[in-house]
Amino acid sequence: MIKVSNLSKKYVGKSAVDQISFSVDQGEIVGFLGPNGAGKTTTIRMLTGYIPPTSGTAKIGGHDIFSESLLAKQKIGYMPENVPLYDDMRVREYLLFRAELKGLRGQEIKKNMNEALELCSIKTIKSQMISSLSKGFRQRVGLADALINKPPLLILDEPTNGLDPSQIRSFRELIKELAEKHTILISTHILSEVELICDRVLIINEGKLIGNNTPHELSEKMRSSTTINLEIKSHDNNIKEDISKISGVKKVTLEKEENGWKFMRIRVDYGNDLREEIMHLGSKRDWLIREIHFQRSKLEDAYIEMVQSKSN
Amino acid sequence: MERSQYIILILLIFITVTPTVYFLLSRTGVIILKKELKSIIYSPIAWIIISLVMLLNGFSFTAALEILRKNDIDETLVGYTFSSTSFWLTYFFIFPVITMRLFAEEHKIGTIETLLTAPVKTIDVLLAKYFSCLLFYIILWIPSVLNFILLWLSSKENGSAIGSLGGAYSIILLLGIFNISIGCLTSALTKNQLVAAMACFTFCMLHFLIGFILQDLPVPELWRNGLFYVSTVNHVEVFINGLIDSRQLVYYLSFTALILLITYKILEFRKWKA
Repeated sequence: MIKVSNLSKKYVGKSAVDQISFSVDQGEIVGFLGPNGAGKTTTIRMLTGYIPPTSGTAKIGGHDIFSESLLAKQKIGYMPENVPLYDDMRVREYLLFRAELKGLRGQEIKKNMNEALELCSIKTIKSQMISSLSKGFRQRVGLADALINKPPLLILDEPTNGLDPSQIRSFRELIKELAEKHTILISTHILSEVELICDRVLIINEGKLIGNNTPHELSEKMRSSTTINLEIKSHDNNIKEDISKISGVKKVTLEKEENGWKFMRIRVDYGNDLREEIMHLGSKRDWLIREIHFQRSKLEDAYIEMVQSKSN
Repeated sequence: MERSQYIILILLIFITVTPTVYFLLSRTGVIILKKELKSIIYSPIAWIIISLVMLLNGFSFTAALEILRKNDIDETLVGYTFSSTSFWLTYFFIFPVITMRLFAEEHKIGTIETLLTAPVKTIDVLLAKYFSCLLFYIILWIPSVLNFILLWLSSKENGSAIGSLGGAYSIILLLGIFNISIGCLTSALTKNQLVAAMACFTFCMLHFLIGFILQDLPVPELWRNGLFYVSTVNHVEVFINGLIDSRQLVYYLSFTALILLITYKILEFRKWKA
């Protein structure tokens, strides 16, 4: 659906996007991740044909964004960051304008508009002025606009920016629903979002693409952060040393002690689940263990590590 | 006519008719035009401007009638009406006010992004905005024609100054065509509507009065004569006397085309820069 090769954007004295290449297949939900100012919006603006690239090419559904921009734009439903809308229009009026602009005619307009209103649950506010809408509704109107001509590809730039937690959740549900019919590229800096809805993650930092994996792969890649949490009670003072002796244990730290219960964090080699060995040792030594938990690393850790290691 | 005049005429038709026909045939252009006209008409500014223009036209018309009634002089009603101060007062304010929001507002609130990422051409957007203002401008002057029609209907002196009236409205239309393109340009240059309006106002004012201003300044004779030729106030005089001068037609129409072309380039350039 999207095919990007060596796409670059240079501004005077600095390059905002540097030689990135990736592709997105039909039906995928791809998260586009990166810190603020990493070049996410610039890349998206190039994909949507709003700004031309300095070099490199991008194709949307086989159409080049620069030389066949009208055909490429026809395939994209785009919702820019902060959802700019005309405040002096009513919701229905705005959607009608956008539908006509995107080449819909006659009955199709009415049908598609009703579907979009239904899908984004904004039927009740269709006669309101856009200026009177709350942030959440504005977002939905923006999404309805992106959906109105049923484009095969949706590009959403930070769609949950500024929404409250319950709105974020319902927005997420909506995206999942949309994923059945559309390919979605969604840019964000909220990791939990990506983890929950995306099939694949592209990580961009300082204009360079530094990751292209599934969220799961990405976390698995993180060797350093696999830990076992342990709550233990014993009169034995050598717990720390004893556990350290188990092969595969890299480091044991005593986090805190409360009423005799010791909270310990055991770092182990990547994916090396040593819970059995610890329990085994515990039963031999008569330790009381009330919790033992193997913690998979989160995407957040992977992300932070990747972004930081690149910039250092 | 000489051969060169024919060539100029053909060129003139080419640069004015081609974009207009192209625009009328483009579907998206007409859709944006409709939307722009709507947002002009739904805004209070439009109605303030319409009432201001009607009011000041009424003043200048009445004043002209009064002068003709008191004095026995050889001047036309049209001539007096369109050279009065209150008439030109309106003229200066119209262009900045109706054009300032065109692109500046879209850039400011970011809707230019949704507009240009829809399957539309930049040139359609530009022409739609330009023509929407021009249409509004034409609507703005319609009530003032009624003044003359009413007078003629009641005095039975039908069509005595029809040439002069035609000339006056031709120059008004011509100035509209030209100055709205200036407004488009200044609005495309900035995100700030006030800056756009002031730049447009300054330009219109200077262009209108440059001949007058230079008369009292120590500039070379050649410059003075050259700039006197482009200064609007002289053109108006010629047209009000009922003469539609082809030199002015060429001047305004060709410059309008050039300025719209520059505006188009600026819009494209902002995309490269943004």
